[in-house]
Formats: sequence, structure tokens, C-alpha cells
Amino acid sequence: MIARIIAGTRQLLELHHPGRNLVVFPDDVFIVSYPKSGNTWTRFLIANLVHPEEPANFANINRIIPDPEALSKRELGRLPRPRYIKSHQYFDPRYQKIVYVVRDPRDVALSQYHFHRKRRLIDDDYPKEKFVTLFVAGETSVYGSWGENVASWVATRHGRPGFLLLRYEDMMENAMREMAEVASFLGIAVTPERLARVVELSSADEMRKLEAAQAHMWSSTKDTRQDVPFVRAAKSGGWRAELPESAIAELETAWAPLMQWLSYELSLAKAPANDSRVLQATLEAPRR
Amino acid sequence: MKYGIKRAIKYLLGTDIAGRNLAVYPDDTFIVSYPRSGNTWTRFLVGNLISPDQPATFANIERLVPDAEAQSSRYLKRVPRPRVIKSHQYFDHRYPRVIYIVRDPRDVALSYYNFQRKYRQIEDGFDLTRYVSDFVGGRLSSSGWGTWGENVGSWIAARGGQTGFLLLRYEDMIADTPRELAKVAAFFGIAAPPQRLATAIERSSADHMRQLEKTQGGEWVSTKNKRDDIPFIGAASPGTWKAKLPESSVAEVESAWAPLMTRLGYELMNPPPGDARTARVVRDAAPHPVAAKGPSE
Repeated sequence: MIARIIAGTRQLLELHHPGRNLVVFPDDVFIVSYPKSGNTWTRFLIANLVHPEEPANFANINRIIPDPEALSKRELGRLPRPRYIKSHQYFDPRYQKIVYVVRDPRDVALSQYHFHRKRRLIDDDYPKEKFVTLFVAGETSVYGSWGENVASWVATRHGRPGFLLLRYEDMMENAMREMAEVASFLGIAVTPERLARVVELSSADEMRKLEAAQAHMWSSTKDTRQDVPFVRAAKSGGWRAELPESAIAELETAWAPLMQWLSYELSLAKAPANDSRVLQATLEAPRR
Repeated sequence: MKYGIKRAIKYLLGTDIAGRNLAVYPDDTFIVSYPRSGNTWTRFLVGNLISPDQPATFANIERLVPDAEAQSSRYLKRVPRPRVIKSHQYFDHRYPRVIYIVRDPRDVALSYYNFQRKYRQIEDGFDLTRYVSDFVGGRLSSSGWGTWGENVGSWIAARGGQTGFLLLRYEDMIADTPRELAKVAAFFGIAAPPQRLATAIERSSADHMRQLEKTQGGEWVSTKNKRDDIPFIGAASPGTWKAKLPESSVAEVESAWAPLMTRLGYELMNPPPGDARTARVVRDAAPHPVAAKGPSE
């Protein structure tokens, strides 16, 4: 009861963090992904694209591209519009304009493993097999499982206006090309020079430097272990060396059709039969 | 701000409608569907199946299978566990066990039209063509639950084929209620001899529910203070759209959701232009993917 009184009072004063209950405006733009899929990098890229006059850093990113899990309802309501908002939510019908970033779930699982170490949720010697089993079941995140999150968006919005699907791996390979697509999706005219600047200001090296200086100022890194970095390897395919074979098999068995549609090559000899026919109907259309 | 105060006080007292903010328990089972897809019928069937000693009526259904969209957080917290809860929500990862009912969107649109007349949200003469456009485009009050395609697509893509998810087609339930209810019984782990199924079905028949609506419509949260010249229990027959929906509206629904409809076995009047891919979808889906697949998809 007391908890409810405190929560109710916070609501009254609009001091609560709305999260999924965010009040959505029709002109909001959302940067959505499952956690540990390149969302922060994309936030920096888009912030630097939209506001060339104010380079993004960990001290201003929550103002430029706010996180409804980290800001209060009052703060979110006072932002200038159109707002650019970061989100990890699975499908929400109110979101009308969405940049969705997807990443190989084998790398996502590994990245989340290290992030959980950073947040002291697991010990350094926590078995990876056990972590991956929980990851596949969706028990390491409040945003559903990787497959639920990705599938819920892809099945409802892919191929429709207002939805841009980006692969983290494509962004790694050619950030300029992918950012040109983002710019055109957002209706922002850009020169190659401006794009190059955007990519440079958001590079892993630059972000590591900023993290070293500002980690204590940012909601996602303050009060976490400082010996484990937030901006980690920033590469794809780390799972090959770091994940045990049984864990790889578990991930691929859970999400083979979706992974194949996203061009994440399976390492298992034979893909398991697809048992989600409706998802497959969505996936029968080519991705691009 | 005034609205904010009202809501905060409601939250404080626990009298806010649960809806999407419902506190979910690990032993909950949800009966989920888009509105006007046979949810109330399924609630009666499940209520009568689980509590044979207590026939479901509009006076007790909110106790047997409460409605998360109509009851308060406080009310739902006090429902004895394990709870069976009715919901219209699009995908929610917290729902541990889900019976999802899907119905031909052409019939859903038509049923929703009559429902909104009953609720005095549209006039009797409201243009049906425009209504269907709004239905497809997500501009009706129902779009708080997403569009039909978003609601159905989000659940089936995220959970289809997994344990703890039972997909039922309204049309299959009409065609062979005992077979479909047997799937539900198995899902709940209830031994259901034919006699128990037959009793549950009889107590949930459209005729019986119409009788109950007549005497109890004034007490039920979903029908009280609504027009009583339009029944809540509609025709309860699939395919009404063929006679009543304008051709252009049929085409509009089909062009919005063709792949999903085809996969669910809803035959299209206007198959999309015959490229190879579409032809394959249609061929693969024949004759009837869901029924052929059995209970767990």
C-alpha cells in the first residue's frame, strides 16, 4: 500500500519514468532494437545527423534522443518536437515512424552476458551455457526474447511505410551507406561530407573516449562496474570464438527461420523445420 | 493536469482499469483475441468447461473469466488463482499461457461496425466503406489494440508453434465445437469426457447466450447502458461479409493483410497479382494450414 502511495504521488507529479506507458505523439520517431543490438551507436549516429551543431556525448544523449526508461514523464512531455526517442520495446501499435536495428542473436547473447557482468547481475565465472538458456527463454530481459521482439515488429510492420529495418552488421560494414538510408527515411538532405562527419563523431573509438570521461554521468553506466566497458568490442561474429557450441546450437534451434531471413548464416549442418507458418508467410517476402 | 490527478488517485486506490498494466502471475492463462472475434463465446465455453457446477452467465462471467479491459487492478488482484483472463491486447511477452482466437477480418470489420452502433459511437447510417477504410487504417477506437493484422501478426509471429500458445480459428470453432473445445481442455490439462464437453457447449450456445443477454444485458459491464435494440451476440455465423460487405471494402481488407489471411486459411476474393511468390503462398497454404497442423500452432 505504501509503495502504491509513493508510486501514485510520483505519477501525480509526473516524476515516474513512463517506459512502455510513454505518451506517444504522432510525429515521434523511434529508434528501436532489442538491448545490446547497436541501439546506443544508432542513437549517436542519428543525434549527430539531426543536430550537427551539437556533437552527441553521454552527457547530452538523453536530452537529444531520450530514453523513456531513464527520463520522467514530465521531462519527456517538455521536449521539442518532433521527438527522437530510444526504445527497446517489442511491438507497440502507437509507434508510427521506426528505425529498427537488428543484430545477430548470437552476438546479442554474448554482449548481454558481458553487460550483465558490468551491472553485477552475474559473476565473472557465470556459465555461458546457462546464460544462453535463460536468454533464449526471454528471462534475461524485460523486453521479451530476442525472437519475440524482432518477430513482433517484422511481422506487423516490415514492408509498410514508416518502418526502416537496419542490420547492425550492415552498419558495421558500411555505416555511410546505411546512414544515407536513415537520412532519406527521416527526410534529411545530407552531403557525403556531413555523413562522414556523423560517422566519425559516432565511431567506437570516439564513443570509448567519451565513455571513459562521462560514464558516471549517464543513466545506463553510472553505478556499474567500471572495469567492464559499455562500448565493448563493436564487432560482429565474436560469438564464434566466445560462445560454447551447445549455446550456439540452442540459439539457432530457437530462431532458425528468422535468422535465415535476416541473412545470419547458421553454423548447424541442417536448419530445424520451421514451425511458425505465419511468421514464414511474412518472411517469404525478400527483406529488401 | 486534472486528468492526471484523476488517474493518479485511481491508481492509488487500485480502481484504474487494468488493461495493459495488469499485474501478470506466472500461473495465469489468457483468452486473447482482437475484438469481435468470438472472445465472449470462448469465455463462456472455458468458464463452463472449468466450472461445470456454476453455469456461466453475464452476471458471473466477470468472476469466472474476468475482463482485463473492463475490470480494475484491485478487482483482478483478488480473483482466485490460477486466473483465466480475457484480453484484447496485442503481443505482451508477460502472458505465460495464451489461447488466441482469430476470425476472418472481413467478418470482424462487419461485426465491429454493428458493435460501435450499439455503443453509440457511430450513427446507424455511417458509411460502411469509410468504416472499413478506418478499420484497415487503424483509425477506429479498436486501434488501441493495434489493427487486426498487427494484433494477430504480433502474437502468431512471436508465439506461434510454441508451447503455451493455442491458436484457434473462430470458423473452426463454429464448424466443430467439440473438436476445438477438446483442444482447449487438453491445453488446460482437464480430462473432458464427451458429456462434459457437450454440456459446456450447450450452456454456451448462441441461442442460450441470446436468452441470457435479454435478461442480463443490463447488468453486464460490456452491455449496460448501450443500445439494446442491437444485440451483443451477433449472427454468430461465418461469412456474413459475403452478402453485406461492399466489394471495394473486401478488396481493401484483403490487400492490407493478404499473406496473413492466406496463411490462416481465409480464401481471398481478390488474390494479389499472380507473381510466383504469391502463387506459392496460396499453394502452400492449401487446403487448410491451421486445421492440418493440429492444436499447438
